[in-house]
Amino acid sequence: MTALIKSYHIKKRDFIRAGEASINVQNLLKSLSFDSNLIRRVAICGYEGEMNVVMHGGDGLLSVEINSGKIVMVISDNGAGIEDIDLAMRKGFSTASDEYRKMGFGAGMGLPNMKKNADIFNIESEKGKGTEVRMIFSMRKEGG
Amino acid sequence: MDKDIPTSSYVDFDKDRCIACVHCVRSCPTKSIRIKGGKSVHLVDHCIGCGECIRVCPTGAVSAVTSKLASPEKEEISVALVSPVLFAQFPGIMPAEVLQGLKQMGFQHVVDMSYFLELFLCAAEEYIIRNRTTRKSPWPLISPVCPVVVRLIAFKFPSLLPNILPIIRPLALMVREVKQLIARQYGVKEKSVAQYYINPCPTMLAPSRTSIKQKRLYVGRALGINDVYAELNRQIEKIKSSDAPHFQKDLFDHGTTGSSLIWCLSGGEIANMNIEHALAVSGLKETITYLEKIEMGLFKNIEYIEFRTCPEGCLGGTLTAIDKYLAKSVVQKMIIKCGIKKRVSRKDMLQSYEEGWFLPETSTLRLERLFGEEKEPLSIDSLHKIEKILAMIKGKDCSACGAPDCKTFAEDVVRGKASLNDCLVIRARGKRVTPETSD
Repeated sequence: MTALIKSYHIKKRDFIRAGEASINVQNLLKSLSFDSNLIRRVAICGYEGEMNVVMHGGDGLLSVEINSGKIVMVISDNGAGIEDIDLAMRKGFSTASDEYRKMGFGAGMGLPNMKKNADIFNIESEKGKGTEVRMIFSMRKEGG
Repeated sequence: MDKDIPTSSYVDFDKDRCIACVHCVRSCPTKSIRIKGGKSVHLVDHCIGCGECIRVCPTGAVSAVTSKLASPEKEEISVALVSPVLFAQFPGIMPAEVLQGLKQMGFQHVVDMSYFLELFLCAAEEYIIRNRTTRKSPWPLISPVCPVVVRLIAFKFPSLLPNILPIIRPLALMVREVKQLIARQYGVKEKSVAQYYINPCPTMLAPSRTSIKQKRLYVGRALGINDVYAELNRQIEKIKSSDAPHFQKDLFDHGTTGSSLIWCLSGGEIANMNIEHALAVSGLKETITYLEKIEMGLFKNIEYIEFRTCPEGCLGGTLTAIDKYLAKSVVQKMIIKCGIKKRVSRKDMLQSYEEGWFLPETSTLRLERLFGEEKEPLSIDSLHKIEKILAMIKGKDCSACGAPDCKTFAEDVVRGKASLNDCLVIRARGKRVTPETSD
């Protein structure tokens, strides 16, 4: 059985459509009857990732690969990149501008939250070139 | 493949009146309606009773399942349970007159919901405040009051079931208490108390359909506000024209207050709640959008969200008699006239709270069993097929096939419930296809 691959574009500073890719992935997984908590974990990571791209990244891409055994989600962008990944992964650390903070973002919980919700979490970034977050979720399919 | 044809517990479809226009098909949030053979409407899946199809049907082919008003049987004690939305239907008329009108229609007792709404509110507040330390439930808690929201969550957002506030709904509380009190008063069995809930939406059931998957219901009968409106109006005219209207005292004369009338409006539930971080959302589309967002982890800083799937709240229900904006202005005026007073205090209800008096009548597990998605899950292979069909149709969601959109149609085809040749676009291209040729 071949995996199902879906990709969605994420546009820089497009707050209105941000979250749409995650909702699409969410609905896709629902039609496959994945465990609802797994779907929720994927949705949370997708949304946090999308917001990161919208705020800090340039334009980006969210793609999912759905296998019967696992879900791989890759969120990549060609934005500013992260200088110090260890620092970025720290809870509460954020480089969000005042403008974003006024909108209620920039609590510095995005990346840590993604790491918490994914089973495998991997982040690579180069300053000035972009960032790629790769997450794997394993499936605990419930009967029926 | 079809086990049995599903019927809705909440709406009836009149196939003779149906003109196959697909309005209802497109409005259904669970995508459960199809037009079959270009002719008439069919329910293919779960109905959650939101009433959107009733709202959009141009010919009146879709109607709510309510018990029509029959003269009560002799050995029964008939009780009218009144949603505050009923008061919003009569401009310039005070609640007491509306209740008296119902009595003149033949109900032995008339109970206004306001007292139970206050009880619920108190218990809800208590749970939310305790949850700050116990953390038994995840934030944000979701109001259990609108039954459509609860069913929608069970059907589409099961991961949010633990967010539903575990407090008994005001209606269920009222039904339980009134039944017990009347049975005791008359020394009869609870069975002989016939309760008619007069409500603005089709979410309650007719007696002939009281079991959805064996769910036992508290309310025996439900009447739409529009079922009683004409007769009630006549009775109120009578009261108005008589010089000295005679108001009988009733067992449950708590008196209607502004704090219960405000429940008709979106935001009315949280208005009197002593919770700072609370939101009110109304309308079906908005509700779905917000539930999607909560599922993505948003609104964790909000403690309570009141959802109403009807626009503007309960007075936008599909079974109301007058326009919702008119009703809104009636309510706003009446709230000011009646004044906001609280009759239930935390002290009054604390003991019953500890005794479990306010525990919900249905557990979340049961809710999921009752209203959860029943369709066979698709396989990844079927998803591939769906993608292929979609690529072939390149459709514009025209619904001419009788499905709400191309994606649902493609899913129907893969599930063997529709034929690709039902698609207008494919037919127009003049090539008949079978699903196999698409592989």
